Amino acid sequence: MNLKFRALISTAIVIGVGVIVLAGYFLPAITAVRFILLRAGLVLAAVALLVGIINLVGIHLRKLSSDQSNSGYSLILVIALTITLIVGAADMFQTYMFGKPNFQMIKWVFTYIHLPIETSLMAVTAVSLIYAAAYILRERLNVFSIIFFFVIILVLLTSFSISSNLLPILQSARNWIVGVPALAGGRGLLIGVALGSIATGLRILTGIDRPYGG
Amino acid sequence: MTLTGFSGIVVVILFVGTMIAFYLIKRDADRTELREIRGYRKLTREIGRSVESGTQMHLSLGWGGITGSESASALAGLSILKQIIKESAVCDYPPVASSGDATVAILSEDTIRDTSQAINIQTGHRSTGELVGLTPFSYAAGTLTTIRSPQVSANVLTGWYGNEVIYLTSAGERQGTPVIAGTADLPSQAIMYASATDPLIGEELFVGGAYLGGGKIYEASVNAQDIFRWIVIGLILLGAVLNLLGVMDPFSSLLGGVR
Repeated sequence: MNLKFRALISTAIVIGVGVIVLAGYFLPAITAVRFILLRAGLVLAAVALLVGIINLVGIHLRKLSSDQSNSGYSLILVIALTITLIVGAADMFQTYMFGKPNFQMIKWVFTYIHLPIETSLMAVTAVSLIYAAAYILRERLNVFSIIFFFVIILVLLTSFSISSNLLPILQSARNWIVGVPALAGGRGLLIGVALGSIATGLRILTGIDRPYGG
Repeated sequence: MTLTGFSGIVVVILFVGTMIAFYLIKRDADRTELREIRGYRKLTREIGRSVESGTQMHLSLGWGGITGSESASALAGLSILKQIIKESAVCDYPPVASSGDATVAILSEDTIRDTSQAINIQTGHRSTGELVGLTPFSYAAGTLTTIRSPQVSANVLTGWYGNEVIYLTSAGERQGTPVIAGTADLPSQAIMYASATDPLIGEELFVGGAYLGGGKIYEASVNAQDIFRWIVIGLILLGAVLNLLGVMDPFSSLLGGVR
């Protein structure tokens, strides 16, 4: 009963706020109200981030205590998070208490630890994508997969810094593929995605889908 | 009000009206003939398998939030999560949901807990909605440990991803567990098409409720999507013909914000 009452209240709030925000896109008269509600939403999202980080730490502490095979990663995560938090807090303390410039330590953490790790993962992604192209031929050998594979090869070849004079036919083929069938297919997919997004949004707006509980 | 604003309201009202009309004219016994989507057939099978073997489904909701253009993918994923919980009511373990956005993580936890309570499942388990990382690559790295868990028997990737989704799909492949994957981002769809065992293409991501037994209203929503697709196709063809005839295309000005 408690759950049903809570669901009723939350559904009423979602429908009310959703209708106002949606109408704000079409009716200039209530644009100001829409912005107020969106700003409130952003503040709530920031609070949710804090809750999410507590959730993240809680999950990894549980993994550590349950002696799982991957618990080493959890230990690294908890240590890294704690150190980053301390560094960030120290930076903030320095900046606001002593007027010293300006988040230098946390910038160092991002520039020399976080960024190189993400960049190296990005580099490995290229190799993984080539592996995926080979995987499709091994696991799903049909006409579409073969076309998919050879289009990838063609676009890759013509994207290298080889002069277009050396591969004039391939260059024209690439331009046609990218400009006509790929563009048309992409637009077709986007129309489908847009209609799906409208349907999903309206289901939530009318309370049919309630991902917020109930 | 602009002409674009007016046409937007008309589209929204017509869409809701079409959904309600299909819902009302359909009797409970009627079942819409939906075309077969391999991903959902596989998902239904995998839910059954996880119930029998006492394993867990993993649902990845991507790293997109709910305030931007990427929100629809995550919300569609949450709808699929709800149906998975309902379908696997007798399963020993509830599905585990991973996400890279704090708001979506909270929503996934809410969905798992409230759906379980609504259908009277006494799970006795801890919450399984997890925030695993806040940037695309940290999210991918964090999710890999879940995919590699021996407790996980199948992976469903429904959310917003970038190129890093390749790590998730290939990890599932190496683990020998099926990966059913869909997103609204076009380049990531191409990667999923190549590397997932069962890709969901385009709007297939958004019809999970209808295919997983959500009920009449979800089927009515699919019908409304189909009707509007034909209307859009008709308008595109009409616009092309008018352009060929040298007549000004009225739709461009309608969508271009003319007052």
